Amino acid sequence: MTRKKPISDRVADWLPRLVMAPSLLVILVGVYLFIAWTGWISVSSSRMVPSYDFVGLEQYYRLWATPRWHIAVVNLFIFSSLFLLVTMGVGLVMAILLDQNIRAEGALRAVYLYPMALSFIVTGTAWKWILNPDLGVQKVVNSLGWEGFVFNWITQPTFAIYTIVIAAVWQSSGFAMAIFLAGLRGIDNSVIKAAQIEGATLPRIYASIIVPMLRPAFLSVIVLLSYIAIKNFDLVLAMTNGGPGNATEVPSTFMFQATFRRNQMGVGAASAMMMLMTVAAIIIPYLYSELKESRNGH
Amino acid sequence: MKTIRSAMIASALAMAVAMPARAETKIEVLHHWVSESEVAALNTIRTALAAKGYGWQDSAVGGMSGGNMQQALRSRLAAGNPPGAMQFLGWEGIDWSNEGVMRDLNDLDKANNWEATIAPQVLPFVKNGDNLIAVPINMHRQNWVWANKAAFDKAGIQQPKTWAELIADGEKLRAAGIIPLAMGDEPWQIQVIFDALVSDVGGPDFYKRAMIDLDDDALSSDTMKQVFDTLRQVRGLVDDGFNGRDWAVATGMVINGEAAMQVMGDWAKGEFLAKGLKPGKDFMCFATPSETPSFQFIIDSFGMFKVKDAEVTKAQDALAEVVMDPKVQHDFNIIKGSIPARTDLSVDDFDDCAKLGFQERAEAIQNGAMLGAATHGFAAQPQFSAVFGDVAAQFFVNDMSSEDAVKMLVDGINNAR
Repeated sequence: MTRKKPISDRVADWLPRLVMAPSLLVILVGVYLFIAWTGWISVSSSRMVPSYDFVGLEQYYRLWATPRWHIAVVNLFIFSSLFLLVTMGVGLVMAILLDQNIRAEGALRAVYLYPMALSFIVTGTAWKWILNPDLGVQKVVNSLGWEGFVFNWITQPTFAIYTIVIAAVWQSSGFAMAIFLAGLRGIDNSVIKAAQIEGATLPRIYASIIVPMLRPAFLSVIVLLSYIAIKNFDLVLAMTNGGPGNATEVPSTFMFQATFRRNQMGVGAASAMMMLMTVAAIIIPYLYSELKESRNGH
Repeated sequence: MKTIRSAMIASALAMAVAMPARAETKIEVLHHWVSESEVAALNTIRTALAAKGYGWQDSAVGGMSGGNMQQALRSRLAAGNPPGAMQFLGWEGIDWSNEGVMRDLNDLDKANNWEATIAPQVLPFVKNGDNLIAVPINMHRQNWVWANKAAFDKAGIQQPKTWAELIADGEKLRAAGIIPLAMGDEPWQIQVIFDALVSDVGGPDFYKRAMIDLDDDALSSDTMKQVFDTLRQVRGLVDDGFNGRDWAVATGMVINGEAAMQVMGDWAKGEFLAKGLKPGKDFMCFATPSETPSFQFIIDSFGMFKVKDAEVTKAQDALAEVVMDPKVQHDFNIIKGSIPARTDLSVDDFDDCAKLGFQERAEAIQNGAMLGAATHGFAAQPQFSAVFGDVAAQFFVNDMSSEDAVKMLVDGINNAR
C-alpha cells in the first residue's frame, strides 16, 4: 500500500466492506431469511409439505400439549446446565493445573484436547458401549469381583440423560481447557508477583485475581458450549437414540422427528421457534451486558 | 504440482470411463436400501431394467429408516428436480400423489391386469382414487416370533399358542439361564410388539378400530388396557442391557442361544440364514401367538414422479414393468427375505418361513386378518402411529400404569388430529 495514490486509499476503505459483503449476504439469506420462513411455517397448517396459510398459534398449542415435548424441554435444561457447569469446572481445573509449568505440557494438552477432534457420533457410540451394563463399566467391575456393583444409568429413564452429560463433558472439557489456558497465558505475571509480595496464598490468588480476570474466556466458553448444548442432536442419536423410550428426547431430535418423520412440519417449526426463543432469551442479555461492560472498560 | 497433474489425469480418465454410460437413458431411483442383502436384491431389478435398455442411477439415502430420504426428496421437489422413481413406505406415495407430483400408471395396470394380483388390503397404499400411483415389489410380515430351537429344547418348552403361554415360558427359560426375549429399547422395536399385542389380544377388528380408524371408544377401552398389561408382562422377559441395542444385535442373541426369542419382522430371517441355520431345525418362525392370528404387512413400492424428459417417462414405464415382473418379484424376494407382493406367484423354492408366511397371508386375506403394520406406517397416518410408539415406548421403560398409558394414548391421538 502506498500512501501517494488516493485511489488505493479508497480501495483500502472499501476493502473490508467488499470482503464482508458476500458472507453478510449468505448470513442474511441462510440464517435470517430461513428463521423468518420457519416462523411463518410455525403459524401455518403445514403437515407434510409447507402450506402458506395462517392458523394462528394452533401449532404452538399442539406442541405444548405433546408430552414428548415436555420431556425434551426438561432434558434440554438438565443437559445444558449440567454440561455447562461441569465442562467449565473441569476445563478450568485442568487449565490451572496445566499452567503450573509442568513437564510435557504440550503432549498433555494434546491428550486433553483430542476428544474434541472426534465427532459426536463416535463419542456417542463409544460411550453407549462403555455405559452398557452388559458390556462396559458395570461388567468390568463385576468381573473384577465386585458382584453387586450396579451402574446402569443408561437403561434407567430417569438417569439416562445424565449419561449424555458425561459423554458430552468428556468430549468438550478439553476444549474449554484450551480456551482457559489461553486466557491464563494472557495474564500478566507481574500481577501475580505483586499479589505474592502482598502475601496472598496461591488459592487466594486464583480465586480473587486470576479467575475474575478470565472473564472474556468465560464469555467465549459459555457462548460456544451453550450452542453445542442446544444443537446437541448427533450425540443423543448415537448414544440412546432418544431412549430408553423417549427419556432422552431433546428439542432438536423432537424437531427432526416431527418435521421429517411424522408429517407435522408446523409442529416442527413451532418447536424450532421455541428453541430459538430460548437461546435468544439467555444469550442476548448475557452478550449485551458483557459486551457493554467491555466497551466501557476501554 | 505432480499431484495436481495426476489428479487431472485421473479425472480425465474417470470422465472417459463415465462417457459411454451417458448414451442410454438412466432413471434415478431414490431409495433407502443400503445394507448388503438389500443392495443384492436391488441388483435383480437393476439387471432386468438393463435388459430393457435402461440404466439405473442409484440414489441411496440411508439412515433413520427413510427419514433422511424424505428430507432429501423434499429439497429435490422444492428445486423442481424430482428423481425418476422413489421407494415408498406406508402412506408416503399417497401423500405425495395428493401433492400432485406423482404420475399414474393406469395404462400399464390395465394392459397387464396388475390390480388383480395385489391383495385388496394393500391397494389403499398404491392406489389413489382410480389411479395406480406405485407398484409394490415385496411384502414383509412384521408380527413374527423368531426362536432358537436349542434354547426351547433346553428349557423343555414348545411353541407357545398364546401370549400367556409365551410369558409363562419366560420363567422356564430364565431358569435355564436363557434370556426369554431379545430386543432393543428403540421405540419402533417396542411398537412392533405393541402392534402384535393389539390384534393378538383384541382381535383384528379391534386393531382396525384402534390403529386405523382411531376410534375413541376402542382407544380408551378395557381391551386397550389389557394390551398394556400384557406389554408390562413382556417387559419382564427382557434383559437389562437392552438400551441402544440394534434389532440385528438382538437377532444375534437368539442365533447364539443367549436369548430364546425375538419379535421382529421377517428381515430378521436373513441373519439366521446368513449363519447357515435351517428353519424348523435350528430356528423356528411362527406368528405372534394368538387365538386370532393376523398378518401384519409392510410393503415396499416404487412410485414415479412427473418428469419433463419423455425418455425418462419411458424408463419409468420400464421400471414399473420390471417391478411387477413375476420373475423379478421372485428373485428379489428370495434375496430380501420377504415374499412377493403379487399374490399369484408360486413360492415353492422359498424357505419354509416364507412359505408359511405366504400361506398365512392367503388365509388372512380371506378372513379379514390382513392388517397394515402401524409401526412402519401402514395403519394411521404417521403423526398418529408415532403416538402409539411414543406411549408404548414410555410405558415399556417406565413404571407407568396401564390406565395412565391409555389416557396418554387418547390425549396424544386427539392432540395430533
